[in-house]
Amino acid sequence: MTATSRIRQKKTTFRLLAPGVVWMILFLIAPIMMIVYVSFWTQTTFAINSSLTLDSWKNFFASEAYVGALWTTIRLWLIVLTLTFVIGYPAALYVGLMVKSKTISTVLLVLCVIPFWTSFLIRVLAWRPMLGKEGAINIILLKAGIIHTPIEVLLFSELSVIIGMTQIYVVFMVGPIAFMLGRIDHNIIEAARDLGAGFGRIFWKIIFPLSLPGVVVGAIFVSVMVLGEFATSGALSGRKVNLLGNIIVTQVGSLKWAMASVVGVILTILLGIVVAGFLRIVDLKREI
Amino acid sequence: MESKVLKPILAVYVGLFILFLYGPFIVLGILSFQQGPEGGPQFPIIEWSTYWYRHLFGLTPPSRIAPLPVGEALVRSLTLAFMTMVTATVLGVMAAQAFRKRFRGAGIVFYLIVLGMMVPGVLTGLGTSLLANNVVGVERHWWSTAFLAHVVYTFPFAFLVMLAILNRFDGSVEEASWSLGVSPMKTFRKVTFPLIFPGVLSAMLFAFTLSFDEFPRTLFASGRDQTLPLAIYGTFSVEIHPNIFAFGVMTTLFSFALLAVYGILMGLSVRRAKKMAMQEDIA
Repeated sequence: MTATSRIRQKKTTFRLLAPGVVWMILFLIAPIMMIVYVSFWTQTTFAINSSLTLDSWKNFFASEAYVGALWTTIRLWLIVLTLTFVIGYPAALYVGLMVKSKTISTVLLVLCVIPFWTSFLIRVLAWRPMLGKEGAINIILLKAGIIHTPIEVLLFSELSVIIGMTQIYVVFMVGPIAFMLGRIDHNIIEAARDLGAGFGRIFWKIIFPLSLPGVVVGAIFVSVMVLGEFATSGALSGRKVNLLGNIIVTQVGSLKWAMASVVGVILTILLGIVVAGFLRIVDLKREI
Repeated sequence: MESKVLKPILAVYVGLFILFLYGPFIVLGILSFQQGPEGGPQFPIIEWSTYWYRHLFGLTPPSRIAPLPVGEALVRSLTLAFMTMVTATVLGVMAAQAFRKRFRGAGIVFYLIVLGMMVPGVLTGLGTSLLANNVVGVERHWWSTAFLAHVVYTFPFAFLVMLAILNRFDGSVEEASWSLGVSPMKTFRKVTFPLIFPGVLSAMLFAFTLSFDEFPRTLFASGRDQTLPLAIYGTFSVEIHPNIFAFGVMTTLFSFALLAVYGILMGLSVRRAKKMAMQEDIA
Protein backbone atom coordinates (compact mmCIF):
# COMPACT_ATOMS: atom_id res chain seq x y z
CA MET A 1 0.00 0.00 0.00
CA THR A 2 1.44 3.36 -0.96
CA ALA A 3 1.76 6.24 1.50
CA THR A 4 -0.88 8.36 -0.22
CA SER A 5 -3.45 5.59 -0.29
CA ARG A 6 -2.78 4.92 3.37
CA ILE A 7 -3.42 8.56 4.19
CA ARG A 8 -6.55 8.52 2.07
CA GLN A 9 -7.74 5.42 3.90
CA LYS A 10 -7.12 7.06 7.26
CA LYS A 11 -9.19 10.01 6.09
CA THR A 12 -12.05 7.72 5.05
CA THR A 13 -12.01 5.90 8.38
CA PHE A 14 -12.05 9.23 10.19
CA ARG A 15 -14.95 10.57 8.14
CA LEU A 16 -16.97 7.40 8.65
CA LEU A 17 -16.42 7.38 12.40
CA ALA A 18 -16.56 11.07 13.24
CA PRO A 19 -20.36 11.58 13.25
CA GLY A 20 -21.04 8.59 15.50
CA VAL A 21 -18.18 9.31 17.87
CA VAL A 22 -19.09 12.99 18.16
CA TRP A 23 -22.72 12.05 18.79
CA MET A 24 -21.75 9.68 21.60
CA ILE A 25 -19.36 12.14 23.22
CA LEU A 26 -21.86 15.01 23.13
CA PHE A 27 -25.00 13.12 24.06
CA LEU A 28 -23.71 10.24 26.18
CA ILE A 29 -20.37 11.09 27.79
CA ALA A 30 -21.13 14.77 28.37
CA PRO A 31 -24.51 14.04 30.04
CA ILE A 32 -22.91 11.49 32.37
CA MET A 33 -20.13 13.95 33.26
CA MET A 34 -22.87 16.49 33.84
CA ILE A 35 -24.53 14.23 36.41
CA VAL A 36 -21.27 14.03 38.36
CA TYR A 37 -20.80 17.80 38.16
CA VAL A 38 -24.35 18.74 39.15
CA SER A 39 -24.24 16.42 42.15
CA PHE A 40 -21.96 19.02 43.76
CA TRP A 41 -24.17 22.02 42.95
CA THR A 42 -26.09 24.00 45.51
CA GLN A 43 -29.79 23.22 45.71
CA THR A 44 -32.25 25.88 46.78
CA THR A 45 -35.97 25.26 47.00
CA PHE A 46 -36.85 25.70 43.35
CA ALA A 47 -33.52 26.12 41.59
CA ILE A 48 -29.92 25.09 41.59
CA ASN A 49 -26.78 27.15 41.08
CA SER A 50 -23.31 26.07 40.21
CA SER A 51 -21.50 26.99 43.44
CA LEU A 52 -19.95 23.73 44.59
CA THR A 53 -20.97 22.03 47.81
CA LEU A 54 -21.12 18.59 49.39
CA ASP A 55 -24.57 19.24 50.87
CA SER A 56 -26.52 16.90 48.60
CA TRP A 57 -24.05 14.09 49.26
CA LYS A 58 -24.33 14.61 53.00
CA ASN A 59 -28.12 14.69 52.72
CA PHE A 60 -28.12 11.43 50.85
CA PHE A 61 -26.12 9.54 53.44
CA ALA A 62 -27.99 11.21 56.31
CA SER A 63 -31.37 10.13 54.96
CA GLU A 64 -32.61 6.73 55.97
CA ALA A 65 -34.98 6.63 53.00
CA TYR A 66 -32.22 7.21 50.44
CA VAL A 67 -29.68 4.83 51.92
CA GLY A 68 -32.54 2.36 52.32
CA ALA A 69 -33.25 2.68 48.60
CA LEU A 70 -29.62 1.79 47.91
CA TRP A 71 -29.91 -1.39 49.97
CA THR A 72 -33.30 -2.25 48.45
CA THR A 73 -31.78 -1.87 44.99
CA ILE A 74 -28.87 -4.15 45.86
CA ARG A 75 -31.14 -6.72 47.53
CA LEU A 76 -33.67 -6.83 44.69
CA TRP A 77 -30.87 -6.99 42.13
CA LEU A 78 -29.30 -10.00 43.87
CA ILE A 79 -32.65 -11.79 44.19
CA VAL A 80 -33.70 -11.14 40.58
CA LEU A 81 -30.25 -12.06 39.28
CA THR A 82 -30.30 -15.36 41.17
CA LEU A 83 -33.84 -16.14 40.04
CA THR A 84 -33.17 -15.36 36.38
CA PHE A 85 -30.12 -17.63 36.54
CA VAL A 86 -31.85 -20.49 38.39
CA ILE A 87 -34.99 -20.32 36.24
CA GLY A 88 -33.19 -19.51 33.01
CA TYR A 89 -30.34 -22.01 33.04
CA PRO A 90 -32.40 -25.22 32.73
CA ALA A 91 -34.41 -23.65 29.90
CA ALA A 92 -31.17 -22.64 28.16
CA LEU A 93 -29.77 -26.13 28.75
CA TYR A 94 -32.72 -27.65 26.93
CA VAL A 95 -32.83 -25.12 24.09
CA GLY A 96 -29.09 -24.91 23.55
CA LEU A 97 -27.85 -28.41 24.23
CA MET A 98 -30.57 -31.04 24.56
CA VAL A 99 -32.58 -30.24 21.45
CA LYS A 100 -30.89 -31.96 18.55
CA SER A 101 -32.85 -30.23 15.80
CA LYS A 102 -31.70 -26.69 14.95
CA THR A 103 -35.21 -25.79 13.79
CA ILE A 104 -36.86 -26.66 17.10
CA SER A 105 -34.24 -24.78 19.06
CA THR A 106 -34.71 -21.70 16.84
CA VAL A 107 -38.48 -21.94 17.20
CA LEU A 108 -38.14 -22.12 21.00
CA LEU A 109 -35.83 -19.09 21.05
CA VAL A 110 -38.20 -17.12 18.83
CA LEU A 111 -41.06 -18.06 21.18
CA CYS A 112 -39.04 -16.56 24.03
CA VAL A 113 -38.38 -13.35 22.11
CA ILE A 114 -41.91 -12.71 20.79
CA PRO A 115 -43.14 -11.06 24.02
CA PHE A 116 -40.53 -8.36 23.50
CA TRP A 117 -42.57 -6.99 20.67
CA THR A 118 -45.18 -5.92 23.15
CA SER A 119 -44.66 -2.64 24.92
CA PHE A 120 -42.50 -3.00 28.02
CA LEU A 121 -45.02 -1.11 30.12
CA ILE A 122 -47.89 -3.30 28.97
CA ARG A 123 -45.83 -6.35 29.94
CA VAL A 124 -45.39 -4.91 33.41
CA LEU A 125 -49.04 -4.01 33.66
CA ALA A 126 -50.09 -7.49 32.57
CA TRP A 127 -48.99 -8.77 35.98
CA ARG A 128 -51.68 -6.78 37.78
CA PRO A 129 -54.70 -8.91 36.78
CA MET A 130 -52.47 -11.94 37.28
CA LEU A 131 -51.36 -11.25 40.85
CA GLY A 132 -54.17 -9.18 42.34
CA LYS A 133 -56.41 -10.28 45.19
CA GLU A 134 -59.03 -11.25 42.59
CA GLY A 135 -56.30 -12.12 40.11
CA ALA A 136 -55.82 -15.22 38.01
CA ILE A 137 -53.34 -16.93 40.35
CA ASN A 138 -55.53 -16.52 43.40
CA ILE A 139 -58.59 -17.76 41.50
CA ILE A 140 -56.75 -20.82 40.25
CA LEU A 141 -55.34 -21.62 43.70
CA LEU A 142 -58.76 -21.13 45.33
CA LYS A 143 -60.52 -23.31 42.77
CA ALA A 144 -57.90 -26.00 43.18
CA GLY A 145 -58.50 -25.92 46.91
CA ILE A 146 -54.84 -25.23 47.70
CA ILE A 147 -55.69 -22.05 49.58
CA HIS A 148 -58.93 -20.91 51.22
CA THR A 149 -58.38 -17.18 51.43
CA PRO A 150 -56.78 -15.18 48.61
CA ILE A 151 -53.10 -14.33 49.05
CA GLU A 152 -52.91 -10.58 49.27
CA VAL A 153 -49.16 -10.25 49.38
CA LEU A 154 -48.93 -11.21 45.70
CA LEU A 155 -49.58 -7.70 44.41
CA PHE A 156 -48.29 -4.31 45.53
CA SER A 157 -45.42 -5.85 47.46
CA GLU A 158 -41.77 -6.58 46.96
CA LEU A 159 -42.75 -10.05 45.82
CA SER A 160 -44.74 -8.73 42.86
CA VAL A 161 -41.79 -6.59 41.79
CA ILE A 162 -39.51 -9.61 41.96
CA ILE A 163 -41.92 -11.80 39.98
CA GLY A 164 -42.45 -9.10 37.37
CA MET A 165 -38.75 -8.33 36.89
CA THR A 166 -37.81 -12.01 36.76
CA GLN A 167 -40.32 -12.66 34.00
CA ILE A 168 -39.31 -9.60 32.01
CA TYR A 169 -35.53 -10.13 32.24
CA VAL A 170 -35.10 -13.92 32.37
CA VAL A 171 -34.89 -14.14 28.57
CA PHE A 172 -31.75 -11.98 28.61
CA MET A 173 -30.16 -14.73 30.70
CA VAL A 174 -31.47 -17.59 28.56
CA GLY A 175 -30.27 -16.15 25.25
CA PRO A 176 -26.51 -15.83 25.89
CA ILE A 177 -26.33 -19.12 27.82
CA ALA A 178 -28.18 -21.03 25.10
CA PHE A 179 -25.84 -19.47 22.54
CA MET A 180 -22.72 -20.66 24.38
CA LEU A 181 -24.23 -24.11 25.01
CA GLY A 182 -25.07 -24.41 21.33
CA ARG A 183 -21.40 -24.04 20.46
CA ILE A 184 -20.27 -26.98 22.59
CA ASP A 185 -18.81 -29.77 20.49
CA HIS A 186 -20.92 -32.87 21.19
CA ASN A 187 -17.88 -35.07 20.61
CA ILE A 188 -16.35 -33.81 23.87
CA ILE A 189 -19.44 -34.92 25.77
CA GLU A 190 -19.46 -38.27 23.94
CA ALA A 191 -15.79 -38.77 24.79
CA ALA A 192 -16.39 -38.03 28.47
CA ARG A 193 -19.34 -40.41 28.47
CA ASP A 194 -17.28 -43.14 26.82
CA LEU A 195 -14.69 -42.67 29.54
CA GLY A 196 -17.41 -43.39 32.07
CA ALA A 197 -18.32 -39.93 33.37
CA GLY A 198 -21.87 -39.54 34.68
CA PHE A 199 -24.11 -36.66 33.72
CA GLY A 200 -23.36 -34.71 36.92
CA ARG A 201 -19.66 -34.93 36.32
CA ILE A 202 -20.00 -34.04 32.63
CA PHE A 203 -22.16 -31.07 33.57
CA TRP A 204 -19.83 -29.62 36.20
CA LYS A 205 -16.56 -30.39 34.42
CA ILE A 206 -17.49 -29.63 30.81
CA ILE A 207 -20.89 -28.09 30.18
CA PHE A 208 -21.02 -25.48 32.92
CA PRO A 209 -17.48 -24.09 32.48
CA LEU A 210 -18.02 -23.80 28.72
CA SER A 211 -21.30 -21.94 29.26
CA LEU A 212 -19.79 -19.52 31.79
CA PRO A 213 -19.16 -16.68 29.30
CA GLY A 214 -22.85 -16.84 28.42
CA VAL A 215 -23.77 -16.68 32.10
CA VAL A 216 -21.56 -13.63 32.54
CA VAL A 217 -23.03 -11.82 29.52
CA GLY A 218 -26.54 -12.67 30.69
CA ALA A 219 -25.74 -11.53 34.22
CA ILE A 220 -24.39 -8.22 32.90
CA PHE A 221 -27.53 -7.65 30.82
CA VAL A 222 -29.85 -8.47 33.71
CA SER A 223 -27.82 -6.45 36.23
CA VAL A 224 -27.65 -3.32 34.11
CA MET A 225 -31.38 -3.43 33.48
CA VAL A 226 -32.49 -4.29 37.01
CA LEU A 227 -30.22 -1.73 38.67
CA GLY A 228 -31.57 1.02 36.42
CA GLU A 229 -35.21 0.00 36.91
CA PHE A 230 -37.97 2.18 38.22
CA ALA A 231 -41.07 1.46 36.13
CA THR A 232 -41.66 -2.11 37.31
CA SER A 233 -41.14 -1.22 40.94
CA GLY A 234 -43.38 1.81 40.55
CA ALA A 235 -46.20 -0.04 38.82
CA LEU A 236 -46.22 -3.31 40.75
CA SER A 237 -45.34 -2.24 44.27
CA GLY A 238 -47.82 0.59 44.66
CA ARG A 239 -44.92 2.93 45.54
CA LYS A 240 -43.92 0.67 48.45
CA VAL A 241 -40.64 -0.44 46.91
CA ASN A 242 -38.30 2.44 46.14
CA LEU A 243 -35.23 1.74 44.08
CA LEU A 244 -32.50 4.25 43.26
CA GLY A 245 -34.26 4.80 39.92
CA ASN A 246 -37.51 5.70 41.68
CA ILE A 247 -35.67 8.24 43.83
CA ILE A 248 -34.20 9.85 40.72
CA VAL A 249 -37.65 10.11 39.12
CA THR A 250 -39.28 11.68 42.17
CA GLN A 251 -36.36 14.07 42.75
CA VAL A 252 -36.47 15.29 39.16
CA GLY A 253 -40.23 15.57 39.46
CA SER A 254 -39.78 18.02 42.33
CA LEU A 255 -36.90 19.81 40.54
CA LYS A 256 -34.31 18.57 43.04
CA TRP A 257 -31.70 18.16 40.34
CA ALA A 258 -28.71 18.02 42.69
CA MET A 259 -30.09 15.14 44.75
CA ALA A 260 -31.18 13.30 41.59
CA SER A 261 -27.59 13.65 40.37
CA VAL A 262 -26.14 12.29 43.61
CA VAL A 263 -28.33 9.21 43.25
CA GLY A 264 -27.32 9.02 39.58
CA VAL A 265 -23.63 9.01 40.48
CA ILE A 266 -24.16 6.32 43.13
CA LEU A 267 -26.05 4.22 40.59
CA THR A 268 -23.23 4.69 38.06
CA ILE A 269 -20.60 3.61 40.60
CA LEU A 270 -22.69 0.59 41.60
CA LEU A 271 -23.06 -0.41 37.95
CA GLY A 272 -19.35 0.05 37.33
CA ILE A 273 -18.44 -2.21 40.24
CA VAL A 274 -20.93 -4.89 39.21
CA VAL A 275 -19.94 -4.95 35.53
CA ALA A 276 -16.20 -4.85 36.30
CA GLY A 277 -16.70 -7.68 38.79
CA PHE A 278 -18.43 -9.87 36.21
CA LEU A 279 -15.79 -9.12 33.59
CA ARG A 280 -13.15 -10.35 36.03
CA ILE A 281 -14.72 -13.81 36.10
CA VAL A 282 -14.35 -14.33 32.37
CA ASP A 283 -12.21 -12.62 29.78
CA LEU A 284 -14.97 -11.99 27.29
CA LYS A 285 -12.72 -10.75 24.51
CA ARG A 286 -10.84 -14.04 24.48
CA GLU A 287 -13.98 -16.17 24.70
CA ILE A 288 -16.02 -14.47 21.99
CA MET B 1 -28.48 -42.93 30.51
CA GLU B 2 -29.52 -39.92 32.60
CA SER B 3 -30.42 -37.79 29.61
CA LYS B 4 -33.30 -40.23 28.93
CA VAL B 5 -34.82 -39.05 32.20
CA LEU B 6 -33.48 -35.52 32.13
CA LYS B 7 -34.57 -34.59 28.64
CA PRO B 8 -38.33 -35.14 29.11
CA ILE B 9 -38.19 -33.39 32.48
CA LEU B 10 -36.46 -30.40 30.90
CA ALA B 11 -38.94 -30.44 28.01
CA VAL B 12 -41.82 -30.15 30.47
CA TYR B 13 -39.87 -27.46 32.29
CA VAL B 14 -39.41 -25.43 29.10
CA GLY B 15 -43.15 -25.72 28.51
CA LEU B 16 -43.81 -24.28 31.96
CA PHE B 17 -41.17 -21.63 31.33
CA ILE B 18 -42.90 -20.47 28.17
CA LEU B 19 -46.20 -20.46 30.05
CA PHE B 20 -44.52 -18.19 32.62
CA LEU B 21 -43.46 -15.84 29.82
CA TYR B 22 -46.88 -15.80 28.18
CA GLY B 23 -49.21 -16.22 31.19
CA PRO B 24 -49.73 -12.53 31.92
CA PHE B 25 -50.50 -11.86 28.25
CA ILE B 26 -53.09 -14.56 28.09
CA VAL B 27 -54.81 -13.14 31.15
CA LEU B 28 -54.51 -9.63 29.72
CA GLY B 29 -55.95 -10.77 26.41
CA ILE B 30 -58.89 -12.50 28.09
CA LEU B 31 -59.67 -9.52 30.30
CA SER B 32 -59.61 -7.13 27.36
CA PHE B 33 -62.95 -8.71 26.38
CA GLN B 34 -64.50 -7.78 29.71
CA GLN B 35 -67.95 -6.25 29.66
CA GLY B 36 -68.03 -2.48 29.76
CA PRO B 37 -68.20 0.11 31.10
CA GLU B 38 -68.95 -1.45 34.51
CA GLY B 39 -66.61 -4.43 34.20
CA GLY B 40 -63.32 -3.90 35.96
CA PRO B 41 -59.81 -5.09 35.13
CA GLN B 42 -60.26 -8.38 37.01
CA PHE B 43 -62.03 -11.70 36.94
CA PRO B 44 -64.66 -12.92 36.63
CA ILE B 45 -65.66 -11.92 33.12
CA ILE B 46 -69.18 -10.57 33.59
CA GLU B 47 -70.01 -10.94 29.93
CA TRP B 48 -67.81 -11.23 26.85
CA SER B 49 -67.82 -8.07 24.78
CA THR B 50 -65.70 -5.93 22.51
CA TYR B 51 -66.72 -2.82 24.44
CA TRP B 52 -63.19 -1.80 25.39
CA TYR B 53 -61.93 -2.08 21.83
CA ARG B 54 -64.73 0.17 20.65
CA HIS B 55 -63.98 2.44 23.60
CA LEU B 56 -60.40 2.70 22.41
CA PHE B 57 -61.48 4.02 19.03
CA GLY B 58 -64.11 6.32 20.50
CA LEU B 59 -67.01 4.28 19.15
CA THR B 60 -68.86 3.93 22.47
CA PRO B 61 -71.28 6.40 24.00
CA PRO B 62 -69.44 8.69 26.44
CA SER B 63 -69.05 7.25 29.91
CA ARG B 64 -67.26 8.23 33.11
CA ILE B 65 -64.13 6.49 31.85
CA ALA B 66 -62.06 8.86 29.76
CA PRO B 67 -60.65 7.48 26.52
CA LEU B 68 -56.93 6.75 26.50
CA PRO B 69 -54.97 9.77 25.28
CA VAL B 70 -53.19 7.76 22.64
CA GLY B 71 -54.08 9.35 19.30
CA GLU B 72 -51.54 12.15 19.12
CA ALA B 73 -49.07 10.21 21.23
CA LEU B 74 -49.10 7.44 18.63
CA VAL B 75 -48.28 9.89 15.82
CA ARG B 76 -45.43 11.37 17.89
CA SER B 77 -44.02 7.95 18.74
CA LEU B 78 -44.13 6.83 15.11
CA THR B 79 -42.43 10.03 13.95
CA LEU B 80 -39.77 9.79 16.64
CA ALA B 81 -39.14 6.11 15.92
CA PHE B 82 -38.80 6.88 12.22
CA MET B 83 -36.35 9.75 12.81
CA THR B 84 -34.34 7.59 15.20
CA MET B 85 -34.36 4.64 12.82
CA VAL B 86 -32.94 6.65 9.92
CA THR B 87 -30.26 8.40 12.00
CA ALA B 88 -29.18 5.35 14.00
CA THR B 89 -28.98 3.15 10.90
CA VAL B 90 -26.92 5.69 8.94
CA LEU B 91 -24.52 6.16 11.86
CA GLY B 92 -24.39 2.40 12.43
CA VAL B 93 -23.61 1.55 8.81
CA MET B 94 -20.92 4.24 8.64
CA ALA B 95 -19.21 3.19 11.87
CA ALA B 96 -19.34 -0.52 11.00
CA GLN B 97 -17.94 0.25 7.55
CA ALA B 98 -15.00 2.03 9.21
CA PHE B 99 -14.37 -1.01 11.43
CA ARG B 100 -13.63 -3.17 8.41
CA LYS B 101 -10.15 -1.63 8.34
CA ARG B 102 -7.79 -1.80 11.30
CA PHE B 103 -7.14 1.55 12.92
CA ARG B 104 -5.63 2.87 16.13
CA GLY B 105 -8.06 3.36 18.98
CA ALA B 106 -10.55 0.85 17.56
CA GLY B 107 -11.04 -0.67 21.01
CA ILE B 108 -11.93 2.64 22.65
CA VAL B 109 -14.31 3.63 19.85
CA PHE B 110 -15.99 0.22 20.05
CA TYR B 111 -16.61 0.54 23.78
CA LEU B 112 -17.71 4.16 23.42
CA ILE B 113 -20.43 3.10 21.00
CA VAL B 114 -21.50 -0.01 22.91
CA LEU B 115 -21.71 2.05 26.11
CA GLY B 116 -24.80 3.68 24.65
CA MET B 117 -26.83 0.51 25.00
CA MET B 118 -25.34 -0.48 28.35
CA VAL B 119 -25.89 2.71 30.36
CA PRO B 120 -29.37 2.54 31.95
CA GLY B 121 -31.94 4.85 30.43
CA VAL B 122 -32.56 6.54 33.73
CA LEU B 123 -28.95 7.84 33.69
CA THR B 124 -28.80 8.97 30.05
CA GLY B 125 -32.23 10.52 30.49
CA LEU B 126 -31.21 12.39 33.63
CA GLY B 127 -27.91 13.56 32.11
CA THR B 128 -29.51 14.74 28.89
CA SER B 129 -32.18 16.70 30.71
CA LEU B 130 -29.55 18.24 33.05
CA LEU B 131 -27.50 19.31 30.09
CA ALA B 132 -30.48 20.77 28.26
CA ASN B 133 -32.07 22.37 31.29
CA ASN B 134 -29.16 23.76 33.24
CA VAL B 135 -26.30 24.29 30.81
CA VAL B 136 -27.57 24.86 27.30
CA GLY B 137 -30.87 26.25 28.51
CA VAL B 138 -33.16 24.80 25.86
CA GLU B 139 -36.61 23.41 26.33
CA ARG B 140 -36.92 19.66 26.17
CA HIS B 141 -39.05 18.13 23.43
CA TRP B 142 -39.69 14.64 22.16
CA TRP B 143 -38.28 15.64 18.76
CA SER B 144 -35.13 17.28 20.11
CA THR B 145 -33.60 16.07 23.38
CA ALA B 146 -35.50 12.79 23.48
CA PHE B 147 -34.48 12.15 19.87
CA LEU B 148 -30.79 12.64 20.76
CA ALA B 149 -31.09 10.17 23.63
CA HIS B 150 -32.96 7.66 21.46
CA VAL B 151 -30.16 7.66 18.90
CA VAL B 152 -27.57 7.16 21.67
CA TYR B 153 -29.55 4.06 22.66
CA THR B 154 -30.28 2.57 19.23
CA PHE B 155 -27.11 3.43 17.31
CA PRO B 156 -25.09 0.71 19.16
CA PHE B 157 -27.65 -1.94 18.15
CA ALA B 158 -27.52 -0.86 14.51
CA PHE B 159 -23.74 -0.78 14.70
CA LEU B 160 -23.46 -4.31 16.12
CA VAL B 161 -25.89 -5.74 13.57
CA MET B 162 -23.94 -4.15 10.73
CA LEU B 163 -20.64 -5.27 12.20
CA ALA B 164 -21.86 -8.87 12.25
CA ILE B 165 -23.02 -8.57 8.63
CA LEU B 166 -19.85 -6.88 7.36
CA ASN B 167 -17.63 -9.40 9.14
CA ARG B 168 -18.96 -12.06 6.81
CA PHE B 169 -18.88 -9.81 3.77
CA ASP B 170 -16.67 -10.79 0.85
CA GLY B 171 -14.60 -7.73 0.02
CA SER B 172 -13.36 -9.04 -3.32
CA VAL B 173 -16.48 -7.86 -5.18
CA GLU B 174 -15.72 -4.32 -4.06
CA GLU B 175 -12.12 -4.64 -5.16
CA ALA B 176 -13.30 -5.84 -8.55
CA SER B 177 -15.48 -2.77 -8.84
CA TRP B 178 -12.67 -0.42 -7.80
CA SER B 179 -10.22 -1.99 -10.22
CA LEU B 180 -12.73 -1.33 -12.99
CA GLY B 181 -12.40 2.35 -12.14
CA VAL B 182 -15.72 2.78 -10.30
CA SER B 183 -15.47 5.41 -7.56
CA PRO B 184 -15.65 4.19 -3.93
CA MET B 185 -18.90 6.09 -3.35
CA LYS B 186 -20.55 4.54 -6.39
CA THR B 187 -19.17 1.13 -5.48
CA PHE B 188 -20.78 1.44 -2.09
CA ARG B 189 -24.13 2.40 -3.60
CA LYS B 190 -24.14 -0.13 -6.42
CA VAL B 191 -22.25 -3.10 -4.98
CA THR B 192 -21.85 -3.02 -1.21
CA PHE B 193 -25.19 -1.58 -0.18
CA PRO B 194 -27.41 -3.99 -2.14
CA LEU B 195 -25.44 -6.89 -0.68
CA ILE B 196 -25.69 -5.72 2.91
CA PHE B 197 -29.30 -4.58 2.53
CA PRO B 198 -30.78 -7.46 4.58
CA GLY B 199 -28.53 -6.39 7.46
CA VAL B 200 -29.55 -2.76 7.05
CA LEU B 201 -33.16 -3.88 7.24
CA SER B 202 -32.51 -5.71 10.52
CA ALA B 203 -30.70 -2.69 11.92
CA MET B 204 -33.68 -0.53 10.97
CA LEU B 205 -36.11 -2.93 12.60
CA PHE B 206 -34.07 -2.91 15.80
CA ALA B 207 -33.79 0.87 15.91
CA PHE B 208 -37.45 1.41 15.13
CA THR B 209 -38.90 -1.01 17.66
CA LEU B 210 -36.48 0.00 20.42
CA SER B 211 -37.23 3.67 19.92
CA PHE B 212 -40.98 3.12 19.58
CA ASP B 213 -41.09 1.39 22.96
CA GLU B 214 -38.41 3.49 24.70
CA PHE B 215 -39.58 4.72 28.05
CA PRO B 216 -37.00 5.82 30.68
CA ARG B 217 -34.97 8.15 28.44
CA THR B 218 -38.12 9.67 27.00
CA LEU B 219 -39.59 10.24 30.47
CA PHE B 220 -36.70 12.54 31.38
CA ALA B 221 -35.68 13.98 28.06
CA SER B 222 -39.00 14.87 26.46
CA GLY B 223 -41.08 17.82 27.42
CA ARG B 224 -44.83 18.25 27.86
CA ASP B 225 -45.96 16.39 24.78
CA GLN B 226 -46.19 12.70 25.53
CA THR B 227 -45.08 9.79 23.41
CA LEU B 228 -47.02 6.53 23.51
CA PRO B 229 -45.10 4.85 26.37
CA LEU B 230 -45.44 8.02 28.44
CA ALA B 231 -49.18 8.09 27.80
CA ILE B 232 -49.43 4.47 28.96
CA TYR B 233 -47.32 5.24 32.02
CA GLY B 234 -49.62 8.13 32.84
CA THR B 235 -52.54 5.72 33.21
CA PHE B 236 -50.63 3.64 35.79
CA SER B 237 -51.07 6.09 38.61
CA VAL B 238 -54.83 6.35 38.23
CA GLU B 239 -57.34 3.51 38.33
CA ILE B 240 -56.80 1.15 35.42
CA HIS B 241 -59.59 -0.10 33.19
CA PRO B 242 -59.69 -2.92 30.66
CA ASN B 243 -59.24 -0.37 27.86
CA ILE B 244 -55.51 -0.41 28.58
CA PHE B 245 -55.59 -4.20 28.16
CA ALA B 246 -57.37 -3.83 24.82
CA PHE B 247 -54.72 -1.30 23.90
CA GLY B 248 -52.00 -3.80 24.85
CA VAL B 249 -53.52 -6.38 22.53
CA MET B 250 -53.70 -3.81 19.73
CA THR B 251 -50.03 -2.75 20.11
CA THR B 252 -48.96 -6.39 20.08
CA LEU B 253 -50.89 -6.93 16.85
CA PHE B 254 -49.28 -3.79 15.44
CA SER B 255 -45.82 -5.15 16.30
CA PHE B 256 -46.60 -8.39 14.52
CA ALA B 257 -47.73 -6.41 11.49
CA LEU B 258 -44.39 -4.59 11.57
CA LEU B 259 -42.60 -7.91 11.87
CA ALA B 260 -44.58 -9.23 8.89
CA VAL B 261 -43.58 -6.20 6.79
CA TYR B 262 -39.98 -6.86 7.76
CA GLY B 263 -40.34 -10.51 6.80
CA ILE B 264 -41.83 -9.63 3.41
CA LEU B 265 -39.13 -7.04 2.64
CA MET B 266 -36.49 -9.54 3.72
CA GLY B 267 -38.00 -12.24 1.51
CA LEU B 268 -38.14 -9.86 -1.45
CA SER B 269 -34.51 -8.76 -1.06
CA VAL B 270 -33.32 -12.36 -0.74
CA ARG B 271 -35.32 -13.33 -3.81
CA ARG B 272 -33.88 -10.39 -5.74
CA ALA B 273 -30.38 -11.39 -4.76
CA LYS B 274 -31.05 -14.95 -5.94
CA LYS B 275 -32.45 -13.68 -9.23
CA MET B 276 -29.40 -11.53 -9.79
CA ALA B 277 -27.11 -14.43 -9.01
CA MET B 278 -29.00 -16.55 -11.54
CA GLN B 279 -28.69 -13.90 -14.23
CA GLU B 280 -24.98 -13.82 -13.58
CA ASP B 281 -24.82 -17.56 -13.98
CA ILE B 282 -26.57 -17.34 -17.34
CA ALA B 283 -24.29 -14.53 -18.48
